[in-house]
Amino acid sequence: MRPFFELLKKIIHTGIGKSRFLMASVGLGIAMLLILVAIQVHSNFNQLLYSAKNQNETADFLVINKKITNAIMGQSGKSAFRPEEIDQIKAQPFVQAFGLITSSRFKVVVQAPGDLHFATDMFFESVPDSFLDVKNEDWKWNVGDRTIPIILPSDFLNLYNFGFSLSQDLPQISQETVKALPLQVVISNNITSEQYIGHVVGFSDRISSFLVPASFMSWANEKYGTTREAPTSRVIIKTPDPSSPTLVKFLDDNGYTTNQDKLKFSKTRLIVQTIVSVIGFFGLILLLFAMLVFSMFIQLIIASCKREIQLLVMLGTAPRQLKRYLLKQFVPLYVIIGVVCLLLLAGLQYVTAMVLAKHDMVVGVWPGPGVFAGTVLVLGLVYFVNLLTVNRYVNKES
Amino acid sequence: MQIQIQQLMPIPLKDKLLQRSSGIWNQDVSFSPGSFVKIKAPSGTGKTTLVHYLYHIRYDYTGTVLVNNRPWPAYNKNELAAMRQQQISIIFQDLRLFEQLTAVENIDLKRVMQPNPYCTPEKIQEMAAQLNVTHVLQQSSKTLSYGERQRIAIIRALSQPFQWLLMDEPFSHLDEENTRRAAALIAAECKARNAGFILTDLDDDQHFSYDVHYQL
Repeated sequence: MRPFFELLKKIIHTGIGKSRFLMASVGLGIAMLLILVAIQVHSNFNQLLYSAKNQNETADFLVINKKITNAIMGQSGKSAFRPEEIDQIKAQPFVQAFGLITSSRFKVVVQAPGDLHFATDMFFESVPDSFLDVKNEDWKWNVGDRTIPIILPSDFLNLYNFGFSLSQDLPQISQETVKALPLQVVISNNITSEQYIGHVVGFSDRISSFLVPASFMSWANEKYGTTREAPTSRVIIKTPDPSSPTLVKFLDDNGYTTNQDKLKFSKTRLIVQTIVSVIGFFGLILLLFAMLVFSMFIQLIIASCKREIQLLVMLGTAPRQLKRYLLKQFVPLYVIIGVVCLLLLAGLQYVTAMVLAKHDMVVGVWPGPGVFAGTVLVLGLVYFVNLLTVNRYVNKES
Repeated sequence: MQIQIQQLMPIPLKDKLLQRSSGIWNQDVSFSPGSFVKIKAPSGTGKTTLVHYLYHIRYDYTGTVLVNNRPWPAYNKNELAAMRQQQISIIFQDLRLFEQLTAVENIDLKRVMQPNPYCTPEKIQEMAAQLNVTHVLQQSSKTLSYGERQRIAIIRALSQPFQWLLMDEPFSHLDEENTRRAAALIAAECKARNAGFILTDLDDDQHFSYDVHYQL
């Protein structure tokens, strides 16, 4: 077929409108690159969010409660979760683990030991142990124990050390000192009271509350509880991805709220996802135009060689041969464009991986399979559209 | 390869042709394979039209042209191309060379159109020498005289395998000596292929030993 195609090259000039063709090729290249970048950024994001190597960065615990608005102020019942609401939260796909936060229904007064002259009314809450970020073997309580292990929020000590103590000219206290201080804890129900020794075993960054073991909580609520079973107003969930837009939407839709700081990433992610989608969209639009120009180019070639094609067919050239010849003029170029785009993307991805690695974020050094699939898909699409155009116009002239 | 025509009648010439008797138009004629057929026709009786019908590049007729007992319209484009590459060759009256190619490229185009060429390049040189056109082979066909072009068109038609060769006034631009040489070459090539030809011309001639004569 070679020598025949050499002769065809002299008859069917594919050189006309070469600048247009070149521009369409550049357009195709850019379109392909945009689409591939969109695919790769998407895959990188997924790797950052879900891959095992990065898991510890994202899995998180969220304490969820209803938003206190002016409308439900003063009606404590309205801020509690109804059982069906709790079931609904449990059923959400982003909830990996779910726990209720139980609050105390008895009065608590805590006094500092010795001559520190410090006493305050307080409350306790408890969560299932698996939700705690403090691991301590003292964290247990059995009926009859006189010592209650307590976990304080880290923020609490910070408030004291950097806010209160400085302004009141009081000494700052280290975590170790707080842990060493035996606190006098008096729990009561206005009728009887009991004194315990509170022992701070750790500080939690996760849950902003004064925590005691669940076993103590249930015992004390049973014995000193002043009200009947109190409804739950705070729950804690474990989620693999606190920035998941579905989670944020769920919270918004139901009027729930949580530590907004942990959701902040979600907004960033939404913005990045939007940008990536826009890039991909532009890529697709550009691809569409590139294909349009290619089609018009093919049409132009065939129309300008109409008489020659008719004579070729008259002399016995099969439409098959003409089509193969025409496609052969374009397809190698597409493959080159595809390979160049892939190489560029591989370079970009390598640089990205290196830069992210400096920030302890792991993404693949090589472009993902989606990128290769994307390349094949785009090239396949362009080939298919060209094939259709060539078929249509060669059949028209032959 | 069998060519048959049944009640063939060109639509544009119908009224004119019905007034005169013809051995071809509106008749059933079967051209037997391998025979040398001469069709003599005065101007304006559809000589070129008939050749184009037989080669299936004009379709404005009533009746049928049967090729191997199949009417031409039953062949698809790729089958038709295969027929034109393997079974049936043609010398157009208006020659139809590509002006953007040289003489030898015009011949080669037809020669290498099929993956396994029937003729070698040496064979082409040989035929060119026989027809006295060796010196113009490398020239652009645009610069050739009509007589040279006609001989190039003849060689082009002979560079492929065929069962039938259609010729439409193939020697109109040739002098007597060149006509004799071309006719000898054509007769030899047809014999070599066991092929027949259908030649249309205005007058009687003695270029070939014809098997059949028709009056259009």
